[in-house]
Amino acid sequence: MSGPTGPVPAVSLRQVTKRFPETRLDDEVVAVDALDLDIEDGEFFALLGPSGCGKTTTLRMVAGFEFPTSGSVHIHGEEMGHRPPDRRPVNTVFQSYALFPHMTVARNVAFGLEMRDVDRSEARRRVDEAIALVQLRGRGGAMPGDLSGGQQQRVALARAIVNRPKVLLLDEPLGALDLRLREAMQVELKQLQSMLGITFLHVTHDQEEALAMADRIGVMDAGRLVQVGTPAEVYERPRTRFVAEFLGDANLLTADVLDPSRVRLPDGTTARIATDRAAGSAVHLSLRPEQLDLVGPDEPVEHHLDSLEGTVARIGYFGSAIEYDVALDAGGPEVLVTARLGNSRGVVTREIGERVRMRWAPESATVLED
Amino acid sequence: MSVLTTVRNARRTVRREPEGVQPRGRVARLLSLHGGATFLFLYLPIVVLVVLSFNDSRIVGVWGGATLRWYRELAGEPAIFTALRNSIVVALVSTVVATALGTAAALSLERFRWRGRRAFDGLLFLPVIIPDVTMAVMLLLLFVQLFDVAGALFGLRAGFGLGTITLSHIAFNVAFVAVVVRARLARLDPRLEEAAADLYAGPWRAFRHVTLPLIAPGVAGGALLALTLSLDDVVITSFVSGPGSTTLPVYVFGLIRRGVTPLINAVSVLMLAGSMLLVVISLTLQGRRGGGALRAAVPGRT
Repeated sequence: MSGPTGPVPAVSLRQVTKRFPETRLDDEVVAVDALDLDIEDGEFFALLGPSGCGKTTTLRMVAGFEFPTSGSVHIHGEEMGHRPPDRRPVNTVFQSYALFPHMTVARNVAFGLEMRDVDRSEARRRVDEAIALVQLRGRGGAMPGDLSGGQQQRVALARAIVNRPKVLLLDEPLGALDLRLREAMQVELKQLQSMLGITFLHVTHDQEEALAMADRIGVMDAGRLVQVGTPAEVYERPRTRFVAEFLGDANLLTADVLDPSRVRLPDGTTARIATDRAAGSAVHLSLRPEQLDLVGPDEPVEHHLDSLEGTVARIGYFGSAIEYDVALDAGGPEVLVTARLGNSRGVVTREIGERVRMRWAPESATVLED
Repeated sequence: MSVLTTVRNARRTVRREPEGVQPRGRVARLLSLHGGATFLFLYLPIVVLVVLSFNDSRIVGVWGGATLRWYRELAGEPAIFTALRNSIVVALVSTVVATALGTAAALSLERFRWRGRRAFDGLLFLPVIIPDVTMAVMLLLLFVQLFDVAGALFGLRAGFGLGTITLSHIAFNVAFVAVVVRARLARLDPRLEEAAADLYAGPWRAFRHVTLPLIAPGVAGGALLALTLSLDDVVITSFVSGPGSTTLPVYVFGLIRRGVTPLINAVSVLMLAGSMLLVVISLTLQGRRGGGALRAAVPGRT
């Protein structure tokens, strides 16, 4: 094991690669590509990415449903190798719940304990406890087919946590729920996790879900981990264009590096930003719409802010926020920059065609790697 | 879209009634005529057979009054009972073995990837499509060769009999069981088996507690099909049977060659009654077991 001292990570992936045979083309598909990842004990970790990015394959390799083509998976310091799922200290909440349709809720929840021959009275106590924990008291005798989607979700959760796994794997657990229920379950899952202290590895394509629940997020694209960090780090300091665009909305501006602390924007003005890229190289700059502020063209710009001038081209009204798409003076009419202003008291509304100046604090802009 | 999903989830437990349009006028009359004709075509022979089995006359076309004479005469034919016993033994043994092998074949084809899987898949279904006579000749030749080898190498003396009949019935029944069980397995969400493994069930316990209960209606259906096919078979059995190992259908076929006697009618009616009993049992079993598990076995997203 590399690294100096410190606690053993709950899950540790080293150079994990998974290739699947592509039968029709007589070729191979690389689903996961040399992945390195450490998940700390007790952490709520979200693997975030679009479908096909390899996040579910990664989870399935931790669960033992797939084995890495190369590389190693450690759970609490133990090498998993080709150990089958029934001999791993992890449990999974499946996307489609995968409840056993021929067993009652209570028997579904008791299944893992039964398979490990846990003492009968002890098992009953723990099953009752788990069912109460997911607020399904009194539904133990129901069949899964008679429950709503949200209730089935809770049964799946109870069935996994009743075993007190070292790591709980969640494969898009909220994907099949409607929006309201999903938001309520986000809060509950988070509470449950901090209460139980179990490490959660949560796979999702929903960036809001990841931002709202996770302690740390790993963003995946094409089998690779692009960036790992806290929700704030990943959202506010996206490393690449992919991360900037996948998490929330981002305005991407092209700029030329002047020196390590300044870049030149399309309209020739300079903006202050820290970068280690060589002077003269063309870079992309990411600006979050909510970090932009609109003022009239004649208003003075405080010296600690940077700004760009343009004309309001489109207005989107979202109730709690108003979005203005501004066409920049430089770069042609097709370069639109979006500013999102909270619809709070005292906000000045603009009209289409109105001249505006967009301002931002230099530290809210990020130079992207590609 | 998400709202729709909830509505659908809520409705999922409601059993859907088949929706249909009631035909009217001439179409309705033609349809009922067609239906009636079909029924007549299917069931008239059965009615004739049953009626004639109670006919107190040796000549087919003449009604000589009702009698149980032929059934009484049957009771005095020990060969019939030997044949019946042979049929039942062969059917039970071949059904049990073929169901186990067929289910295993279905599982390996549906759940695992291995070298030669596609070839095995194609070859397994050959017995379903090749003619009985071909199958019979193949088995006959195979057994003759095997007996030669067994005799030459080990000095064993083996011959045709119930053993060869049972083996032959297993050979064609495996394919039929595999087809039926596989259809059932294909509709089973593989994640259920993964969930069992995830919850500490080893391969055998996962099969016993999750897979088998959920495919049970398919396995039972396959077994009943195997039982029926075995009880019915004439062609293959007559090729591979030996002295004293006649099954009931082969025996009846033998009787016919000596002319149609009312005795045959009586035997046929009894066989018919037996088959119908099996069908009723099968339907009752499937009705009781199928319902709940069948509907719920469809994965969560509808």
